[in-house]
Formats: sequence, structure tokens, C-alpha cells
Amino acid sequence: MELYVLIIDDNLKLKEDTLVWELQDKFGESNVFFISNPKEALEFINSNLDKNIIILLDIQFPDNEMNGHNILSEIRKLSELIPVILWSGVNESKETFSDFINNNAFRFISKTATNNEVMEVIDEAVKYFKTNLDNTIEDWIIQKDEDKDKAVYFTSDGKSYTLNEILYEIRSQTDIGKSFAKKLNELTIDLLLRKKEDLND
Amino acid sequence: MSKSSQTQINYLNFNFDVSSYRLLGRELITDRITALFEIVKNSYDANADRVEVEFIDVNPRNQKSKIIIKDDGLGMELNDLKNKWMVIGTSSKRRERTSPAPYNRKVVGKKGIGRFAVDLLGSKLTLKTKKKGEKQWIFLETDWSQYSDLEARQLTLPFGEDREYFTDIKNNYWFENANENEQGTILEIESINDTWTEYDVVRAYKELARLVSPNSKITKYPFNIKIKSNYEGYEDVLVKPLSFVEFATISIELKHDKERGVQEIIVFEKGELIKKEVSPRHFGLVDFYLYYFNQSDKRKFKDKFNIDIDGIKIYRDGIITTPFAETEADQNKQKDILGIDKRRYSGFFNKVSSRDLLGFLELTDENNTNVIEATNRQDFIDNDEWKQVKLFIIEQIQQVEKLLQYERENIRQVTKSDLGKANEELKNIKQTIASVKKEVSPEVKKQLQFIEADLGKLQGTVNKSIRDYAKLEEDSKQKESLFFSLVSLQTYAAMFSHMTKHTIGHVLRDAEYFNKYFPNERLNDRFKLISNRIYSEFLTLRTGVDFMLKYAQSDSEVEDINLYELINNLFNNIYSNAFKSESIECQLELSNKLILNYNKKAIEDIFDNLISNSVKALKGNNDKKIKCSGIIEQDKLVLYFSDNGIGIPDEDRFRVFDIFFTKTAEDGGAGIGLYMVKTRIEAMQGSIEIVDNEFKPTGATFKIVLPFKK
Repeated sequence: MELYVLIIDDNLKLKEDTLVWELQDKFGESNVFFISNPKEALEFINSNLDKNIIILLDIQFPDNEMNGHNILSEIRKLSELIPVILWSGVNESKETFSDFINNNAFRFISKTATNNEVMEVIDEAVKYFKTNLDNTIEDWIIQKDEDKDKAVYFTSDGKSYTLNEILYEIRSQTDIGKSFAKKLNELTIDLLLRKKEDLND
Repeated sequence: MSKSSQTQINYLNFNFDVSSYRLLGRELITDRITALFEIVKNSYDANADRVEVEFIDVNPRNQKSKIIIKDDGLGMELNDLKNKWMVIGTSSKRRERTSPAPYNRKVVGKKGIGRFAVDLLGSKLTLKTKKKGEKQWIFLETDWSQYSDLEARQLTLPFGEDREYFTDIKNNYWFENANENEQGTILEIESINDTWTEYDVVRAYKELARLVSPNSKITKYPFNIKIKSNYEGYEDVLVKPLSFVEFATISIELKHDKERGVQEIIVFEKGELIKKEVSPRHFGLVDFYLYYFNQSDKRKFKDKFNIDIDGIKIYRDGIITTPFAETEADQNKQKDILGIDKRRYSGFFNKVSSRDLLGFLELTDENNTNVIEATNRQDFIDNDEWKQVKLFIIEQIQQVEKLLQYERENIRQVTKSDLGKANEELKNIKQTIASVKKEVSPEVKKQLQFIEADLGKLQGTVNKSIRDYAKLEEDSKQKESLFFSLVSLQTYAAMFSHMTKHTIGHVLRDAEYFNKYFPNERLNDRFKLISNRIYSEFLTLRTGVDFMLKYAQSDSEVEDINLYELINNLFNNIYSNAFKSESIECQLELSNKLILNYNKKAIEDIFDNLISNSVKALKGNNDKKIKCSGIIEQDKLVLYFSDNGIGIPDEDRFRVFDIFFTKTAEDGGAGIGLYMVKTRIEAMQGSIEIVDNEFKPTGATFKIVLPFKK
């Protein structure tokens, strides 16, 4: 499973921060991105929805740009699947958090955090990806390439989707992708309850 | 409410986690009056015509103590209970902005908070609810003490990994037959947490009274709140907005006339406040009621109502708007949404604060469509209309301040001249006695000598009073200046702590990395970079600390200052981060041999303020520039300080130096900076003015003239 990290921060100094090195060492140099302009960052996310991206997001940006609050809500319009870690030097007692909760922020860490502390949270995000439906499908495809083009989902208007196509739909958070995920879960539960299948570790 | 025989018991589970419970519940509702307020707001949102808050046996607290809150609102179905009441209200999907037709009330309650409010009042709740047309009332029982126990055991940080759900706890529900036409929600709270004294109930009454504007015209769907208790006068009362106009020192009631399209405002002219009609502001026509209370009237007000005077609130169609709908008992924690107290320092030279004012700005949905409450409920959407609203309110307050200042100045002048006159008269009497003395008998002469001696003493006293008075004026000037340095210190401290946080983060991670990987040949380049960075970060930190420490030093010392170095330090050290992050290019054209003999902090303050002023003016520009240049003309230094920011409109040219005149309140502008610049410069016998801007087409240029000391 290929993972990417995107840091969205207006402070260019951070580009050379040891944290970036640690991330590069862990995920590969070309898998860590630093974008200081919120709009560019959103464009980047939008064109890479099919990838696994962990985002580190600053809260304060120059006044004429979007801030962390707006950026997170824009990200959520694109996808619910991306873990967004807020990372900020703001005065926490003055910050409002309810919209972060609403928009399902992954964690909140301070700008004074050590690399270790940040990497722990990053590891949790990695774990989160590993258990995700889309990644399970991807792993399946990698192991059984022949299943890739088999149709697994049929809509009422007569369309069919292969496993590979469904993976794309889930990652792009389309209605098809979402309803497939929901129905798949319901199907699994139904199978388990009717003792058609057993789940063992 | 007992379970009748026909009931069948089922269970519902709350669907939220411990951290949300803590974050959104306990932290938002800190006292029980607020709790009550929240519950009543929910009734309003449910289109209730009336809500009744009944206190039963609440003093002393016992087994039979109860609080019942009953409304005739829309009520809930079982599905609503499951999907709304039992789920914490953070989902944006449920955040409707208006209540159902035909009421279409602007929603004031915080979704999902009401039930935590209940928790604060008492640990056991029986909720009874029904929609019109349903055949049965639904009853739901919750015992909050179980949840608190669970919370205590599982307390984790917000955003923590293990989101524990309270799903183990069962909440009984059952049905009872009812008349189809009935509707509403009844909260019956038992095991109440606190005793409600008469004082508490009265306070509840007064807080609830703020929900509805005292000036609201009868709306089509009025909202009535009733309180029932055992206390005299509060056995069964309709909550009515307080009438306090008679207590105010100054009352201003500004209306509008829609047909003629005119707005009333007040203007201070020749010693009095005069109402004038002007064309409507950008945000539309409003009514504005403003009441000022001086110390003694404030006391009378408090004696009478036992509530705080707490500023201006905005109502829409007669109901309080959401940013003002959050009651906060601790006045220090109340938000300064209108920016009135940003101009802080109440009473200090004629500024009034929220604690001196009560006010009601009455918006209507129809007239003021674009003044919109922000979805986070803490503020209004920061558009042009909202900025104009704030400006409008501040301008009106300023008129009151002008009047107060005028009155105070009047008294001062009268005192001063009375003292002077008394002194003159004493002199005259002495002279008269001296001339009379020559022509009178020895006995009278002796008497006159006594009188002369007494007069001498009296004259001494008067002279001393005159001196004392002068000293008092001098003192208050000094206090003023001390107070100004404190203000700029505060701004600086905020900037400084933000900067330190970043610096510490960098250095900490650098050190950590070094510690973890050193030695390693492959990483030598990185280690080099790290050591360089630690060095430069600490230099930045040192400059910051030095600058801060200077504030702590004494104020009056005069020293030789190299002006070039001083400004250069501000440009390239103190402000370098701010300039970098805002991409501001700075330019300094000044002889580096020029030495001024002044108080260093005063000079630093001047440029500090000019720079921060320019930084704000440059927000939103692309190619940002700040420039300072100076030339020596005979016995004076002429400095030009320019930026290419938004510039200063012609009409503001002279008032930008007025204290508390600000157009950047949103950026933390307190309207003190340029005033301080001007007073400091004038204290040096210099002058400052705005001249034609150096950078075209936009921008501002200040011309500063400082005389060389002889």
C-alpha cells in the first residue's frame, strides 16, 4: 500500500524541518509533499483522490487566504476518507473546535510537538488506512490480479462495475462508491447473521 | 410520571462518545441558569407559543424536588428521539437555520446541547413528547448519573483514538395514549443537583427576560415564558423584558422610517447630543436603543435588578441573535463581538465599556438580510454589512463619549478657574485690608492683623490646592502613558508567544533528530543544516526577548540613539518573520550616522506602531512595500514613512490620529497606535501628518518632523 503525506502550511521554514526528513525516510522522498498555498493544496488533493494521503494541516494562514477551518471543510467536500491531522501553534484556549469535530479531524497536535509525538499520530493514520475498505480491496487486487476486472456491483440502471472500478469509485467518494460500501457492509452482516459465513481471526 | 399498565418498555441508547460529551456539554454549559436558557431556547426553536418553567419543592432539596419545563412546541416522534435527541448535535446536516413554517423563526438553540443542560439541572429526566396527530405520548427516561460515572472512568482527550460509546446504558421508553391534538415536549427533572433559592429563581427570570427584546413589536407568533415557584411574586409570572430606561444616565432611542428611507443617528454638537436623520447605511435600516449608566446609576440599577450591565446585544425580529444568545455568567469571559471593549480601558479618559452600556440593536430579516449569523454561532459572517454594523454602533458610542468628555472637561475647567478666582479674591481682600489698616484705630488694626494672618493661611491652602490640582493632571497624564505602553506590550506579547511556539518547535525537533541519528556520515549535510538553524532560531528568540525586556525598564531615560540601527532592527529582526510571512519588502534610506538624543522606547514605539499599522494596511495587496526615508533640514529631521497598502481615505486624514479611531478592529486594531505615535512625537516637540502618498496609485505616507534638541 502506497502512502503519501501532504503538509499544508504557510511557514516555508517547515519545508526543511527534521519532521519532513523523518517523513521522507519513512514514506520515501517523493511521497512527501509540502504545499504552502491552500488553493494549490486543495487542487492537489482533488487530483489525487485515488491515492492514500495523510494530511498535516496548519490552522493559521495569512488573512487573505483560507485558514485551517475552511481548508478542512473544503477537504471534506472532496472526501471523507482522508485523515487530516491539525497541526498548529495557535492558542488552543482561544480556538474553536466544534467545526473540527464536525469535519472529522483525525487528531490535533501542537507546533511544539517532537518528531516522535508527530510520528505516533502518523502511525495511527497509517493503521487507519490499513483497515480501510478501499485498501482491503486494493490488497486483494494486488494479490489476485485476475479478479481485477470481474464485475462486482450492478446498479438499477443496468451498469456494472468491476472490482477495480469500484475501488476508484470508493476513493473518489462518488455516490456509487458510497452506496457500494454501505451495501457491502450490510451484506456481510447479513451473511454472518444467517450463518452463511463465519468470521474467525 | 409513573408508568401505566398499558405501557411496554423499550430501550434507546445515546449515540455519542465520551469526549464529545465533555467537549460539547460541560464546557459549553457552565451554570444552571445557562442550562435553563438553553432548554427554553429549544422550545422557541420548536415553534412553541409558550414555555413554562416550574420549580417544585426546590428549597430545601429533597426527594420531591422537581423542575418541569413544559412547552407546546412541535414535539418529537420516536424517530426524532432516536436520531436527534439521542445523537449529539454536531452534524451539519441537521443544522437548520429556521424553524418550520409558518413560524420560520431563526433558530437560536444550540442543537444537541439541551440534553446536557438537563444534566446540569438534575440527574434524572423523564421526557414526554408528542407531535400533533400522533395518538400517543412518548416517554423516555434517562439517568444521567450513570453517564457521569462512565465519563469519570473513561475520560480521554478529545480526538482520542478509542471513542467509547455510551451504548451500554439503556434508556427506557414507553407510550401512553393521548388526545391527537395535543403537542409539545415536557422535561421533568428529578434528583436535582442544587437548591434553588429565591435569588436563583429571580436570576433565572432575569436571564430569560433577555431572550426577547424589550423593544420588539408584537410579532405574529409571540413567544411567552412563564415561571412558577413557591416564591412570592414568582408563583406564576409571565417573563417580561426588564424596563430600566428610567435608570439610565443617558438614554438614546434611534428609530428609522422605512417609507422615507431615513435612519436616525445621534451626533454630538455644541455640548449636546442631537438626533439627526441620515440615509440608510449599507446594512439597512435599524432601530437602536442605547443606554449609558454612570457609576451612581449603575449602583442603583444593580440594587434594583441585581444583574450586570453587560453591553449591547443584537436582536433579530425581536429575538436575540445566536452570537449573543449564549449566556456567560462570568463577565470576564463574555465575548466582545462588537469590538467595544477592544477599545478597552473603561473610564480611562472618557472611554465607555460594555459595563457602562446596555443596548439593543434591532435587526429585521426583511431590512437587514445580509447581516448573517455565522454557523459557528460565535459571531456574524464577516462581510461588509457586518463591518458597517459594528462601525455604526461604535460611532454612536463615540458620540456619547464625546458628550461625557465635554462634561468632564467642563467640570475640570470650572474647578480650575474657581480655584484661580478664589486666589485672586483673596489677594484683593488682602490689599483692601492693607489699605484700610492705615486708617483705623489700634484695636481694629490688631484685629485686622489676625484676619490678615488667617487670610495668609487660607491663601496658602488655595495655592496648595492649585498645585495639587496641577499635579493631579500631571499624574493622570503619566498614567495614560504607562497605560499605553502596557497596551503595546500586550500586542507584542501575543506576537511574541506565537513566534516562540514556532521557534521552540523547530529547535526541539532539530535537537531530537540530532540526538537520535548522530553520528552518521550520510546525514552530515543535515546535521550541518540543523546546527545552523538552531543558531539562527535562537538569535531570533534572543532579539524577541530583549525587545520584550525593554518594556520592563524605566521609561524616562534619555539616551543617544542611532536611528538607522533602531529602524533597521525593527525591519530586519523584530518584524522579519511577519514581513516574510506576508511577503512585505522593506526599504530604509537614512544616514547611519544620525544620532538622536531621546527616550529609546518612545522612538521604538513610534516606529513599531507605524510598521504594524502598515502591515495591516497591506493585507490583501500583492506587491507589498514599506519604506522609510529621512533627510536633514537645518535644525530638524524630516522622515517619510510609506506603504503601498489600502491607503487612508481623504475624510479620515485628520481623524486617523484620534484615539480609538480604527478601521482594522478585526485585525486586533485598537485604534491606539497612531494616537500614541502622535502623542509621542508631539512630546518631542515634533509633528506628524499625512501627505501625498509616495507609492501610487494606493498607499499612505506619513511625514514626521523631529527637531534637533539645542
